[in-house]
Amino acid sequence: MSDLNIVPTEPAPVARHPAAEAWEMFRRNHAAMVALVVLSLIILVAIFGPYIYPTDPFDMVWAPFSPPGVDGFILGTDYLGRDLMAAIIHGARVSILIGLAAALMSVFIGVTVGALAGFYRGWVEEVLMRITEFFQVLPTLLFAMVIVALFGASLPMITLAIGIVSWTAVARITRSEFLRIRELEYVTASRASGAKNAKLMFRIILPNALPPIIVQAALMVGSAILFEAGLSFLGLTDPNVVSWGQVIGSNRQYILDASYTVTIPGMAIFVTVLAISLVGDGLNDALNPKLRQR
Amino acid sequence: MKDQMQDEVLLDVQDLTVRFNVGGGGLFGEAKYLYAVDNISFQIKRGETLAIVGESGSGKTTAALAVARLVEAYKGRVDLAGTDFLTLNDEELRQARAKMQFIFQDPYSSLNPRVRAEKIVREPLDNLDAVPESERQAIVDKLFEAVGLHPEQQRLFPHQFSGGQRQRIGIARALATQPDLIICDEPVSALDVAVQAQILNLLRKLQADFGLTFLFISHDLGVVQHMCDSIAVMYMGKVVEYADRLSLFNNPLHPYTVALLSAVPSVDKERRAATKRILIPGDPPDPLALPKGCRFANRCPVAQDRCKTEQPELNEVAPGHKVACHLVDERAVSPL
Repeated sequence: MSDLNIVPTEPAPVARHPAAEAWEMFRRNHAAMVALVVLSLIILVAIFGPYIYPTDPFDMVWAPFSPPGVDGFILGTDYLGRDLMAAIIHGARVSILIGLAAALMSVFIGVTVGALAGFYRGWVEEVLMRITEFFQVLPTLLFAMVIVALFGASLPMITLAIGIVSWTAVARITRSEFLRIRELEYVTASRASGAKNAKLMFRIILPNALPPIIVQAALMVGSAILFEAGLSFLGLTDPNVVSWGQVIGSNRQYILDASYTVTIPGMAIFVTVLAISLVGDGLNDALNPKLRQR
Repeated sequence: MKDQMQDEVLLDVQDLTVRFNVGGGGLFGEAKYLYAVDNISFQIKRGETLAIVGESGSGKTTAALAVARLVEAYKGRVDLAGTDFLTLNDEELRQARAKMQFIFQDPYSSLNPRVRAEKIVREPLDNLDAVPESERQAIVDKLFEAVGLHPEQQRLFPHQFSGGQRQRIGIARALATQPDLIICDEPVSALDVAVQAQILNLLRKLQADFGLTFLFISHDLGVVQHMCDSIAVMYMGKVVEYADRLSLFNNPLHPYTVALLSAVPSVDKERRAATKRILIPGDPPDPLALPKGCRFANRCPVAQDRCKTEQPELNEVAPGHKVACHLVDERAVSPL
């Protein structure tokens, strides 16, 4: 055996998971780290806030238009004398939940469409991409309004409406990643060792295509929150729950008399969406190996 | 009995042709095709090694991929121990892949970066489900040993290995299903010369130990002469010369083969003195506008008028020695 030079080679360094490397990169991005802390706080408020600050946001607890800090109401009261602080805290839950659920939904639709198109090519790709383009050119807000108006303004329906109009970007990203990765040798190697198409698609190619999809999904949570705010501003919202957009919408007539009733929920949306965007950017840098050298 | 085994033809490839659509077709005019592999035929006996050599663009890798049906052939037969690979349906093909495995050129892109080494080697067993799950780990252990890797390296990810180690993982993966035939697509061209020797020796040892048959793709005749029993030289999608190793190296007939051989570096002083370096000028013809005659005519130092108008057939000029050149006859003397 020795004359054939088959000597076991020296042991390699300790295993370091790719996720550990990505976290290392993420930590170096200060803006993203600050945003992550802010976002974590907002999510904690969304989860536990209603127990710590149990005031019902629908209760008329004081005189209308009491400015922030006066009479013991930290953020003041709205035009019906409802506690704005309660609305912000209870609304966080709904806004973030809709944002997450809608983003998840559009990722689900987008990944399925993009994966099938990018993997099978040919007529499958043609048909799916034409459908994607159809959804891309629809005026999204209008289409979402039509769905909500037709099927009722319940939370699941609003989530569905947002998901249906915003999956196209995920589909295109997934498709382009699939087109790139399917040509790599390790995919051919899996095929040569007898992998079925479903395995190639979802166990071999998809995990390697995930980084840009994760980034897009993170950014989509932000845009879904904005979308929900837009719909509720127009009154297309579930009247039995309170969300940030809804607070803006219901107080919009009084923007000149009591601007804080609109700007405070506006700030909540702004801070949350900004934090999500920054975290998304940080993820993009951390997960994209081409940017590692910077 | 052993001799009988030796003489059995394991892989029989007939008239294999691969063409790619390079535009047109459908509603907009006539489709244009590039014939990457044009009517090639060869056989490999069990336990032997056939090398396909040629420069880049000669179609050798495409031919290998088409044999394994990783690229669809346009026509031809690929017969592995009585099974025609090209007529199998998807599920039959998936099962039949156990008998024909592939070692890839680039060990950096042929291993999934997110999967640990042990799972990469285990994947063919998991995919084909022929071995009970409880026995698979033992097979992986044996394969790691057979290719010279430490058992504790099983838990590592591909990027933690060197190029040579990665290629060992690729080889272990190819061995997992106990295939009859392994197609090696330039298995060492991406490696350092020192590591190349290790990997080639490993392949030879495994061939002896497991009775493997190799289809070996390479552009490096120096590598080929240590590995192969017979050699097919390809140029622009065609086989121009096909012979056993000794005939080809001692008596190359096609001008292209002669030129290729003259470019093999040698440490043997006498041999170096004896071979005159033959340079072939110019570039290969445009594969979309192939010449009517011999495809090598525009670069051939001894080409005649006939070569430019008439395509030469692959003729047997000596026992087991075939060549496609108008200027070579039964006397088997190279025109160069």
